[in-house]
Amino acid sequence: MERAPSSASHTSSVLPAIRAQYDPPWANTSIIGVAGSSGSGKTSLSVAIINELSLPWVVLMSMDSFYKPLTPDQSAAAFRNEFDFDAPDAIDFDVLVEKLKDIKAGKKADIPVYSFEKHARKDRTNTIYSPHVLILEGIFALHDQRVLDLLDLKIFAEADGDLCLSRRLLRDVRERGRDIEGCIKQWFSFVKPNFHRYVEPQREIADIIVPRGIENKVAISMVSDRVHKTLKDKSKLHQTELRRLGNVSEDAPLSDNVTILEPTKQIRGINTMLMDPELPREEFIFYFDRLVVMMVEKATERALVFAPCKVATPVPGRFYHGLHLEGEVSAVVVLRGGSCLETGLKRVIPDCRTGRMLIQTNFRTTEPELHYYKISEDIAEHRCVMLLDPQMSSGGAALMAVRVLLDHGVREDRIVFVTYSAGKMGLNRLMSVYPDIKVVVCRIVDDLELRWVEQQYCGC
Amino acid sequence: MANHLNNNERQGLQRAPSQLVGPDYKSSEERPEATVSTAIQQKNVVILPQTPQLIALLTMIRDKNTNRADFIFYSNRINRLLVEEALNHLPVHPHTITTPVGRTYAGVKFEGKICGVSIMRAGEAMEQALRECCRSVRIGKILIQRDEETSKPRLFYDKLPEDVKDRWVLLLDPMLATGGSALMAVDVLRSKGVPEERILFLNLIASPEGAANFSKKYPRLRIVTAFVDEGLDEKNYIVPGLGDFGDRFYTL
Repeated sequence: MERAPSSASHTSSVLPAIRAQYDPPWANTSIIGVAGSSGSGKTSLSVAIINELSLPWVVLMSMDSFYKPLTPDQSAAAFRNEFDFDAPDAIDFDVLVEKLKDIKAGKKADIPVYSFEKHARKDRTNTIYSPHVLILEGIFALHDQRVLDLLDLKIFAEADGDLCLSRRLLRDVRERGRDIEGCIKQWFSFVKPNFHRYVEPQREIADIIVPRGIENKVAISMVSDRVHKTLKDKSKLHQTELRRLGNVSEDAPLSDNVTILEPTKQIRGINTMLMDPELPREEFIFYFDRLVVMMVEKATERALVFAPCKVATPVPGRFYHGLHLEGEVSAVVVLRGGSCLETGLKRVIPDCRTGRMLIQTNFRTTEPELHYYKISEDIAEHRCVMLLDPQMSSGGAALMAVRVLLDHGVREDRIVFVTYSAGKMGLNRLMSVYPDIKVVVCRIVDDLELRWVEQQYCGC
Repeated sequence: MANHLNNNERQGLQRAPSQLVGPDYKSSEERPEATVSTAIQQKNVVILPQTPQLIALLTMIRDKNTNRADFIFYSNRINRLLVEEALNHLPVHPHTITTPVGRTYAGVKFEGKICGVSIMRAGEAMEQALRECCRSVRIGKILIQRDEETSKPRLFYDKLPEDVKDRWVLLLDPMLATGGSALMAVDVLRSKGVPEERILFLNLIASPEGAANFSKKYPRLRIVTAFVDEGLDEKNYIVPGLGDFGDRFYTL
């Protein structure tokens, strides 16, 4: 089962000539547009759909975020309630389309935050990344042809005009700090004429017209069912995709960028103990931590960049021509298993900045799912990012984790995937998609080994 | 310096040469140049692979401007590499087990008991790394000091496990200069019945002279070191060395 590093890690000079393509499950995001008059209950309808979907990867994006920042003149008019916010011109469709395209492509999108008090964009942005479904709501969600081209489902929310006015009054006075006269002035000078001119025509191109908003349970569950079906199809596609990547690369020799720890007596002895199910957990943790130190030391040896430097030693007049490390090394642990490697990591780099992402394999579909992630803002500048996960079987979680880092600007050749055990198929799958990443692995095992390390380490 | 070099250079020994370091598959632009260990002939001297990261760790502890906290941390990281390497020289026997996923794994089991023996006080600085690899290991101590008058090492104190003769001994002393005190420590161990071939002497930096002295006297004892330096100066300090290890670790 063990393979000497000489035969495994240094034989192949034949790298896959063409990069295989991997699309994460959140690529080709389903985007649902919800349009309707101001006060027609678009937001509550969208929230009701999200609740009915009951999925962790659904994000609601309001077109309010895309109001154009106003010039000083326009801003003064806005404070007199004389600026027309209810015309398509007030919306920055160019930025909206750009962000929607990013999201559709599975990339990270920074969404502007608009301040209604100041009529300007705030300095900070909100990040949208990896939703499987995005709901775009706004009075002009179905207005621009470029947006329409990106929508998978077009909904028009309909409500009685009196109801719309009263809802709008309540909201603007209570939540947006406006006075009642101003609101009424705006309604009759801008909102109502614009409704007839721009908003109502969107009815014609909607797939579904939903009257009565959230009371319309039938419509909500219809939409939800449809989305569920789409997601199921996409999940199947993702799994087929993963299988396809496995097939093309099953027999290929391992890449030069994969380093296997040399199976010394100590490492084999420790492995023997670790794999013995009778080993007490206390011992397991001790020996696993010890092994991780060796893996992390190997990873630093493989991936870090050193520059020559000359230092004076305490012996007078004596110098040493050595090396020093260039740039920051950080880590990202793939939860939950990756946390088993943190103790070892901290023994080598005590102050290592550590990001976290929770990727869980859905036991029904065997598909990996990204539930949560939090990484350093400046991760793109780090000289080396170690991705820690104790085991790799199909490589699905690894592919996803690498993709998340790439989407946050980390260069592919700066990523080192550090793992205790990996199957050859999973490794080849990962390397065929991302040939420039480095991998440090302690042991090559049979394909599709269960995740037993984190169970032993955590005791559950 | 020159007169120290002469003998060995006649034998073709190149002291602490400059080299490109890093794995072979990297291009020479990606392999920075640094001073690496003297390659010495003695087979019983095991030198850790001169990887860029080991050189960087050594650079940290050699630098006189490195503060004590960093000195302790980085020397401990090298010490751990030394201990892991030394443990690989201990015997094992085959041991097959059934893994948690129901497969058989043809593994090995460690054989024989070990103990650590540190030469006070600098050697004690290596105990932490040993404990990190072998939790409940017994550790004996030997105190040897240089006699001011004769400038010869003198044994002041020793306390060793009673069954030390049945154990493999990891002898700890970070600096091997002339080897005077370490040779005396080996004599102590041998007088307690520990055979020469069951002693592994761990040190961070050795001098070519010290390593040669050891090999001549105890060819079957194994030295595990991170670096064989240029040589010794007129005061018998290892150069370029790292100064007084015990002072930098404990009191400076």
